[in-house]
Amino acid sequence: MTGPATLLLLAGLGAIAWVSARARAMRLQTAARASGRRDAVHSLPGYHGWYVALWTLVPAGIFLAVWANVAPGLITQDVLNSPAAHSLPADDFSRSAILGEARAIATGAQAGAFNPLSQGLVEPYEAAIGKYGMAGAALALVLAFAGGAYAFTRVRPDFRARTRVERLVMATLLIASLLAIITTLGIVASLLWESFRFFSMVSPIDFLFGAKWSPQSAALGYGNDNAFGAVPLFWGTIFIGAIIAMVVAIPLGLMSAIYLTQYASPTVRKWMKPILEVLAGVPTVVYGYFAALTVAPALRDFAVKIGIHGASSESALAAGLVMGVMIIPFVSSMADDSIAAVPQSMRDGSLAMGATTSETISRVLIPAALPGVVGGVLLAVSRAIGETMIVVMAAGLAANLTLNPFASVTTVTTQIVQLLTGDQEFDSAKTLAAFALGLVLFIVTLLLNIVALRVVKKYREAYE
Amino acid sequence: MSATRNPTDWKSDAMRRRIARRYAAERRFKLAGLLAVGISAAFLAFLLFTMIGNGVRGFTRTEIAVKIDFPASPLLLDPNAITDQALANANLPMVTGEVVKKALGADAEEWVSPTAWTVLRDRIKADPKILSRTETIDLPAATTIDLAAKSKGSPEAEAAVDRLTKAGLLDTGFNWSFLSASDGTDPTQVGIWGAFKGSLLTMLVTLALSFPVGVATAVYLEEYARKNWMTDIIEVSINNLAAVPSIIFGLLGLSIFLNFLHLPRSAALVGGMTLALMTMPVIVIAGRNAIKSVPPSIRDAALGVGASPVQVVFHHVLPLALPGILTGTIIGMARALGETAPLLMIGMRAFIATPPGGITDPATVLPVQIFLWSDEVSKGFVEKTSAAIIVLLVFLLAMNGLAIYLRNKFERRW
Repeated sequence: MTGPATLLLLAGLGAIAWVSARARAMRLQTAARASGRRDAVHSLPGYHGWYVALWTLVPAGIFLAVWANVAPGLITQDVLNSPAAHSLPADDFSRSAILGEARAIATGAQAGAFNPLSQGLVEPYEAAIGKYGMAGAALALVLAFAGGAYAFTRVRPDFRARTRVERLVMATLLIASLLAIITTLGIVASLLWESFRFFSMVSPIDFLFGAKWSPQSAALGYGNDNAFGAVPLFWGTIFIGAIIAMVVAIPLGLMSAIYLTQYASPTVRKWMKPILEVLAGVPTVVYGYFAALTVAPALRDFAVKIGIHGASSESALAAGLVMGVMIIPFVSSMADDSIAAVPQSMRDGSLAMGATTSETISRVLIPAALPGVVGGVLLAVSRAIGETMIVVMAAGLAANLTLNPFASVTTVTTQIVQLLTGDQEFDSAKTLAAFALGLVLFIVTLLLNIVALRVVKKYREAYE
Repeated sequence: MSATRNPTDWKSDAMRRRIARRYAAERRFKLAGLLAVGISAAFLAFLLFTMIGNGVRGFTRTEIAVKIDFPASPLLLDPNAITDQALANANLPMVTGEVVKKALGADAEEWVSPTAWTVLRDRIKADPKILSRTETIDLPAATTIDLAAKSKGSPEAEAAVDRLTKAGLLDTGFNWSFLSASDGTDPTQVGIWGAFKGSLLTMLVTLALSFPVGVATAVYLEEYARKNWMTDIIEVSINNLAAVPSIIFGLLGLSIFLNFLHLPRSAALVGGMTLALMTMPVIVIAGRNAIKSVPPSIRDAALGVGASPVQVVFHHVLPLALPGILTGTIIGMARALGETAPLLMIGMRAFIATPPGGITDPATVLPVQIFLWSDEVSKGFVEKTSAAIIVLLVFLLAMNGLAIYLRNKFERRW
């Protein structure tokens, strides 16, 4: 029996269990009420229905999930024991290739055989798959019946079905919330594991402090010793994300927030705020395309015109400028929040002393809101250095340690994409380097976020 | 200290100058603020304007009317036995070149798209009787002609367009195949349907995984969790996940889903799972805020008439918090729809010319399609890329608009 058919059958059984258990509970309820003992029934009929349905579905479902992982091994074992398998070659690689092909033909994923040996294995495969499929389905149905019958006998007026069902609901909720921890652990474990493999080939010191980045030459066999120095990437990331982008985003974001909260009329604010928010909603691939297609050529022409040497069509400035614009809404909304959190009395006090609005803002509001603004800027930096598509499309691939914003630089995220796209094997230093870069990126953004949130939180408490 | 300080002379020249200076500074500051808002808005306008300016032309296509005398053409096809095999054997690309040369002149073969023969094939397939008569068929123009007809092209192309226009053979119309075709190598024939369907499947997987888990987590943390070290860790994990760069999720998907669990590469299933991990924290945070804003009196009232804690949440709190949760979900899904980097990591950048049939088929999504086209050398891809961007932006704006509408409609003050 096929998987979907089994699942459909189970769902049907569950529905029958629900309906019949609910009907029985209803009859019991009516009987109890008729005899005048209103409080004799603990749970509503629906809960009895759910209780029995869950007993029907959950054990069988768990069994099927386990079976799906056990069955392939048993099937392969069966096929290997069949007479047709005696002619298989001894070495593991070609043997598993032939087995894989036979399985693909047997399940209908592939039409014909490339290897004549696999054609002979198709029949044993089909037989084994059929056999274990039937066995699994039969066992699952038996479990469903047994579970359902056991639960059905417990449908009584005084049975606490609601408590049982709700306990399961709570367990489900708890498991769902544990998923966040599992994901975090998964990220950390996969990054650490692959990085560990990388650092067994390349020394961490060379990686963190080396100034030469050329994984391509390492892949071609010129030695791993000094091809994985990531300092130029770190510099490129900081140059684009923390310097150029922030030079654009901080003044524009801060002044926008000040204007919209302190000066603008309600109508202007109503229209301009969503418009600025649209900037945050534009996908980064669009920004990247815009930077590569429009901004970068214009900047190169400009640089050539004013006679700057080494102007590239993939410049740090183009990527940084566009990234800065993307960040404006983050800076402005964080600044907005922290300015709004400054007590009105401080503002009123300053104005009452005769200060103009701008003097109040720059000498009272901004200093008071500074921790919040700084926290917002740190969050913005963390977002900028983790940003991928803009730099992939506009920043270039050359690892340069340069201060010239018109030159091409490369970043950590660009190199991760570069190292991991295309066909590659997963045991070379070249591909594993991407995970080491990912680990560095993860740690740095994590630290920035923790510091930023702490700064913001600490400051928020000051006025409360 | 003697109180002999003279009263401030507000009318003195020095004071007037000082006040004038302060007022000027005030005006400058205000202007700087206005300028900052203006620059940000102008950049957005410029970006949209550039994309629309480049992209609207991607929705149109130039076609050349070619009169084909089928009986006289070198086609060796029997109208009564049109099979895929026969069509494949008929060497249609060469035949198309011949008939175009015959109809328009020796240099005309370059004018039609290199894949124009597929139009011929589809016409013959739809109506084999066409082989026994002369018919005028609109063939898609080559990229050079297409560009020259829409704006500016090379001198030769311009001359060809002039000649064709004078003969009344040139026609520019809405490019339906842009909406119905998939990726290809010829910019005149590519479309977004394959990528769009891939996006749709990916979003379905993302929604199916992240919404129930996100809501369940929000309910647990907000309503039931006791404050202890475990809930603290859960909370910290969720806040951190919301701020992890998206490419890190791509690395996770690559090493766990692909290399460890051996799920199919490039599939919407893996893309959706990866994006779901990214979207879940957004839904949890929005959900917690929405649940928090439901007043405690409602819970107390429900508990007071005998509801159990689970009933309180599922019968009363969740329905009231649902608009807020939905708003957060839509915003999270919009972010996932525009995400590119993690999907590059799990191999969704492959060239895929057929729309995916299911969630385990190789697929691509709209943003990745945009990225792939932006890398193409052929000039015709520029307008296709911008046109695809317009489609993506329309969807994102619609989703964000829906979120704002929901928020305004269901916003409730207690």
